[in-house]
Amino acid sequence: MGLFQKKNTIEQPQPETVDRHEKKKKSDSLDIFDFSGELAITVRDLDLFYGEFQALKKINMEMPKYQITAMIGPSGCGKSTLIKTLNRMNDLVEGCRVVGEIIIGGLNIYDRGVDLSALRKNVGMVFQKPNPFPMSVYDNIAYGPRTFGIRKKGELDEIVERSLKQAAMWDELKDRLNKSALGLSGGQQQRLCIARALAVGPQILLMDEPTSALDPISTGKIEELCEELKKDVTIVMVTHNMQQAARISDKTAFFLLGEMIEMGDTEQVFSAPSHPETERYITGRFG
Amino acid sequence: MVQTAANSPENPAPAHGKRGDINVTRFKDGMAKYLFFVCASLSILAVFGIIGYILYASIPAFREVGVFQFLFGTRWNHNSDEYGILPMLVSSIVVTLGAILIGGTIGIFTAIFLVFWCPDKFHLRYNGQNKFLQKVVNGFNKINLRTFFDQVIKLLAGIPSVVFGYFGVAVILNLIRGGDVYYIGKGALASSLVLAIMIIPTVTSLAKNALEAVPEHYFEGALAMGNTKAQAVFRVVFPAARSGIISALILGIGRAVGETMAVAMVSGGSVSFPTSLFQPIRTLTTNIAMEFADASQGNTLFSALFATGFVLLVLVLIINFSINLVPKEFKGKRGNKVLNGEKTAVVYKKKGLIPEILKYVAIVLAFVVVVVLAALILFILINGIPNLKWDFLFGESTYQHPSLVPAFISTAYTILITLAISLPLGIGAAIFMVEYAKPGSKLVKVIRTFVDTLSGVPSIVFGLFGNLLFVELFGYSVWAGSFTMVLVVLPTIIRSTEEALIAVPVSLREASYGLGASKVRTIFKIVLPSAFPGIATAAILAIGRIVGESAALIYTSGMLITTIGAAANPGNMASTLTVFLYMCWAEPSSGLGYDQAYATAVILLIITALLNFCVYLIQRRVKKKR
Repeated sequence: MGLFQKKNTIEQPQPETVDRHEKKKKSDSLDIFDFSGELAITVRDLDLFYGEFQALKKINMEMPKYQITAMIGPSGCGKSTLIKTLNRMNDLVEGCRVVGEIIIGGLNIYDRGVDLSALRKNVGMVFQKPNPFPMSVYDNIAYGPRTFGIRKKGELDEIVERSLKQAAMWDELKDRLNKSALGLSGGQQQRLCIARALAVGPQILLMDEPTSALDPISTGKIEELCEELKKDVTIVMVTHNMQQAARISDKTAFFLLGEMIEMGDTEQVFSAPSHPETERYITGRFG
Repeated sequence: MVQTAANSPENPAPAHGKRGDINVTRFKDGMAKYLFFVCASLSILAVFGIIGYILYASIPAFREVGVFQFLFGTRWNHNSDEYGILPMLVSSIVVTLGAILIGGTIGIFTAIFLVFWCPDKFHLRYNGQNKFLQKVVNGFNKINLRTFFDQVIKLLAGIPSVVFGYFGVAVILNLIRGGDVYYIGKGALASSLVLAIMIIPTVTSLAKNALEAVPEHYFEGALAMGNTKAQAVFRVVFPAARSGIISALILGIGRAVGETMAVAMVSGGSVSFPTSLFQPIRTLTTNIAMEFADASQGNTLFSALFATGFVLLVLVLIINFSINLVPKEFKGKRGNKVLNGEKTAVVYKKKGLIPEILKYVAIVLAFVVVVVLAALILFILINGIPNLKWDFLFGESTYQHPSLVPAFISTAYTILITLAISLPLGIGAAIFMVEYAKPGSKLVKVIRTFVDTLSGVPSIVFGLFGNLLFVELFGYSVWAGSFTMVLVVLPTIIRSTEEALIAVPVSLREASYGLGASKVRTIFKIVLPSAFPGIATAAILAIGRIVGESAALIYTSGMLITTIGAAANPGNMASTLTVFLYMCWAEPSSGLGYDQAYATAVILLIITALLNFCVYLIQRRVKKKR
């Protein structure tokens, strides 16, 4: 039995992660993760500090593969902070310190020596504000593959076409591939960013309030897209829109003041929340 | 009690009739508008005047020599009345290209280093017991490196070009000669190197602004896709800053083409094509500076020099205009992309060695800049400080023993007269552009274009113009020099004031109008005070420009060793500090040589540093208030 065929890393994480890690150092491969398990992401006893301030307190959660996990909660509750720790974008923030473990594909991503390029190739991210690069539509999508050493025109063409089709915008954009991505509408830009993230073949897609800057129609399109995408990727989404969480997510986690109050199946959380705070929040009494 | 009640706000009637007379206010408003309009028109007139006057003065040469012969003739000899500028034109272009290739590359990479890899602080460690050393180490660790670098680059940008000329003569030429004293070494290489060092600060600070203006989310987006920092910087942020960086290079080119004195000191001066890197040459600007002494009004040489200035002007206008051709943002490529992808299994690999190499290039080049900067400043200090003698600084000035006092006096006069004219004029023009002209007004656009043009004109061309007009009016004198400097600093003052005024929030003006205040009152009581830091900064930069100017002053206020008594009258000829510094090289005498030059350079360095410190203080205060 191979080392990585185990279903879950929870029982015996230590030897496995260390072993994985050793192997990674030797090879220069990007495929250092093993996503054969049931869980895409496991967060264990996670504390996060910005200098003296503790932004996340003892977070424990498990996000199943090929499902959409929604994170909700009032502003400042730490949900955006948490999603940024999942691909270590928080490393950019000065004075940010993380204690605890986040296990993705059998690896604790906060282990020393974990390759950030490999991590972020496998854990893609879509931001609150659409951020296409000032390049053509084609170059935007080909950008990721190019930085990972794919230069052949044929291969790039195929990736661009596949990614755009995956993001359901091939028909809209196939005649505008050479036009500037900045000329697209806000909703199109955001879907282009999703396509761009998909182009490097991530297993997990993090979405930080992906629709908060968009109109209702564009929002609807992105929600449809998420439903479609979860066949192939695991989605973690931060949202301020409770209806959105209820509509599209499989699991919902509620955060308050840096703590995860509860997490469960979306239906259960919205119909019969186990904590009074959750109920007060989703019924709109505060936040 | 009764009196107090009468003066209280509820009962202001007695005072109101006189002060708030509606007709007076209207009259004042109308007058003010015309006043500001006149200021704006005068600045347009200045540009037209300069271009027109110089063309007018060069017509005799074009007529006698012939335009074609003038542009493409290869010989220049005023004794035999041969005037062809092709060797100078080619030399100018070659030297400038060399400078931009070296200085531009170094500047851009230094900017990249400063924005992305410069550590905030030293992280020195000292574990010993010596308390003094501990304090020194702690002091070093407290320095904010980015601010420090910023300030040093600004200092370098403010150092007068003649000082760079001395550095070129004493250090760069020696390096080129390699110890061989009989070898001259002057030529294209030395000129390009000196110019490269001069344009590094310009290019670095402008490229830095362009890189910092790239939205953070491009960088984050690239990282989120698995890019390393170096990949994100060189593949996304740098291309996104392209237009700003090209503008920085073009401005660097403009500065290199227009530089006169520093090049005059290291180029060698002979009229010939730059056939080798070490062939002594002459650029367009140095040609004017070198031949002007032999020219007198009415002869062909005089006109030929104006024609040289005109060619230079056209060259600079073309360079400046090309900035407008740089597309501001990516607009897409032409044509349509058709995909014909093959269905293959794609293998993602880890690549991206080139960005990592470029990162080290940036670090190394930034280090080179640090070394050159340190060398330049140490060079001035080490050579200059031993020569700072009381008699030279503050003693009586005679021809045998010149002192700096006359230069101090004439520098102060030049600053005072120039600012007294240019500040009201420039601020008035800016007020007209921002407060009175209609939004999107064509007139404002024209003024802006002309002002930008004026700011790109090489100062030797201002010198020519000043000689033609102001020396005619006042004779060689501080007056003539100051009026010439008005034209040099006017563009900076107008544009900086304009930006400062635009930055004042509209809501402040509306609040003032809402209380019933007139336009003039709003401008003087609300808008100008809010814009004061910006205007003060502009004024200080103008002072820096005046202190550092040489080319525009040599043929207007003159090169002369003079006495304190003579310098006390601005109607006399007198040299400013920088011109004095140039004179030490150009017309050495018993009491005037390298020793005096280095001492003067130290004084100029101190003045530049003080002016930069003032700007820093103003900006820090503004930041704190926010």
